Amino acid sequence: MRAVQRCETDVLVVGGGAAGLRAALAAAESGSRVIVVNKGPVSRSGITLAAAGGMQSPFHQDDSVEQFFQDTLHCGYGIGDQNLAWTFAAGACDAALDMERYGARFVRNADGGLALGKFPGQTYPRNLFVKGGGVGIVSALWRACLANDYISIRDDFFVTGLINGKAIGASQVAGVAGLDLRTGDFVLIRAGAVILATGGCQRLWEVNDCPADATGEGLSYAYRAGADLVDMEMLLFYPSVIVWPPSLKGAFVHYEFLAENILDGNVYDKFGVAVLPKPLPVRDQAMRLMEDAIRAGRGGEHNGLLWYVGDSPKGSEVVRKKLDIAQYNYIKAHGVDPADARIEVSPGAHYLMGGIHIDENCQTTLGGLFATPECAGNFDGANRLAGSGIAATQVFGKRAGLHAGQWASANSMVDVDEVSVEAEMERVFRRISRVPISKAAEAGNVLITLQGRLKAAVQKYAGVSREQAGLAQLAQEICAIKQELKRQKVPDVKVFNQALVDILQMESMCEVATLVTGSAQLRTESRGHHYRRDFPLQDDLQWLQHTCATMRGTEAVFGTKPIRTI
Amino acid sequence: MEESKAVISIQAFRFDPDRPEESGFQTYEVPAQEPLSVMALLAKIHEIDGSFACRTSTCFKGQCGSCLIRVNGNDGLGCVTLIKPGEAVRLEPHSKYRVIRDVVVDFSAPMVES
Repeated sequence: MRAVQRCETDVLVVGGGAAGLRAALAAAESGSRVIVVNKGPVSRSGITLAAAGGMQSPFHQDDSVEQFFQDTLHCGYGIGDQNLAWTFAAGACDAALDMERYGARFVRNADGGLALGKFPGQTYPRNLFVKGGGVGIVSALWRACLANDYISIRDDFFVTGLINGKAIGASQVAGVAGLDLRTGDFVLIRAGAVILATGGCQRLWEVNDCPADATGEGLSYAYRAGADLVDMEMLLFYPSVIVWPPSLKGAFVHYEFLAENILDGNVYDKFGVAVLPKPLPVRDQAMRLMEDAIRAGRGGEHNGLLWYVGDSPKGSEVVRKKLDIAQYNYIKAHGVDPADARIEVSPGAHYLMGGIHIDENCQTTLGGLFATPECAGNFDGANRLAGSGIAATQVFGKRAGLHAGQWASANSMVDVDEVSVEAEMERVFRRISRVPISKAAEAGNVLITLQGRLKAAVQKYAGVSREQAGLAQLAQEICAIKQELKRQKVPDVKVFNQALVDILQMESMCEVATLVTGSAQLRTESRGHHYRRDFPLQDDLQWLQHTCATMRGTEAVFGTKPIRTI
Repeated sequence: MEESKAVISIQAFRFDPDRPEESGFQTYEVPAQEPLSVMALLAKIHEIDGSFACRTSTCFKGQCGSCLIRVNGNDGLGCVTLIKPGEAVRLEPHSKYRVIRDVVVDFSAPMVES
């Protein structure tokens, strides 16, 4: 067994995207020592980088916190917690100004005012645009963290799990265990408070538009430690994620551009028949039409439909001008000209709305453990407005940092439960094979096959439309995959053992898939992005509440939790 | 069917800091019917050989630089560099950063020019 290295800090942040970096800055500015760990290099990994850069804040002269609050609740189909929606609406303008203070740049009008765009569901124009998109946001926050003496960033540090405190009574988190990939050391970081800012689990779905990092570890760590996870069935899908050619898989083309007032295109089936009516339906309706078409065998060679704006009545000049942005130039660099090619797309996983339950201070149901969206869950409800994702990372990131810092200074650091450290080490190191690397490399192929099976099953049974029989089959398939996964080993590599990370991520993915499946089975109604073919109606008598998944013993228990009203 | 045999041949740089004397190039063949980005190609190599390390994150816009790598002697972005079936390619770590393992580099440690 390898030795455990130990270090300690006031506040530990897991995840270096927009939420984690904002949390680190808030904690450090209030006097806490902070360590940020990130499984890749900060500013060159993580889900924020893929964000377009829209951010909602009620700056418009006719807009108000109250209106933003109402729009948010309405869009969430009534199951977002009101204390969080209010906190969010009230903090969004400051969050944008803070972001500018840290060095991000917003698009401004000629008069110097912030340029505001109006997206569906917004009563007033409320969308700011950050220059450089997600990359611009993270770069600014990252530089601010580097310049802060209270913050230390550890890149390529893969957390394997939370470590419990040796507290009597209420469960409390004492820190995290993880692998420093650059040295191969197993490290225990003891912390006064831990903030999870690890993002979503979109890579569970075969079609998704997220970087490879979106594997949902933070969710499984919180779950294993005993925290409540809510609304895990609530996954926001996007209609037009590219499924072919292979090197463009995961990039997306705008569904919104198909609207009559923009480029007036459509998605077509393999016979050349338009799938969507005009006026263009809202996204969830469009996706159900697209999925029905694919199910009916109208899909193309790679099970997608064809996004096309090449015959736009607006003319090719308008099309080319609209598509002359980084996202489409990236597609062009792959030999596909989006202005006249038929691009094969399918609905794909875009954003996790459910997740770890938090209160308005971002405190989870465990002592010393905080979480912030995207991995925190009871804020959006069953749908979210465009631009809420980035804004939420800033509002709640700041609060998580402040309140984790306060918790760390108000409570003395708990002793580490050494039994839980040893169990975690055993769980990680039993994966390392003692046979030569070439043999172990073959095991890598088995892992890829298992990943493929999991993603295909989740896509098929827990996609934009679901039903009891399919979900039950999915649950069985996950069990079978978990059994096979137990036997898998990885090469004994000390520095940067990526195969070890793969297998640990896969364990988390299976665990999270179980929570998605169980929650989707429990919610016997359709609401927002959760559509049940066998329960097509919204049931406000029974289901104006969260689904809630918790670990009891070694099993997931599924129940409900009331919506917080104010 | 000639097309079904299409492959991309890769000479990939291998480096393990625990066995620096063994560093050098390893040959891999990846079946491919369509052009693949260097980034997609690296992920395929990692699938074939779990001990081969590479970065896998991307922003889908060619902006973040997670995929910086040296392709046939030129430093560049792996996500927008395409290799066609039938082609051969030599992949090395980006020349401006310290190598951690194989083609994975430490972006916080640029090599100082003398």
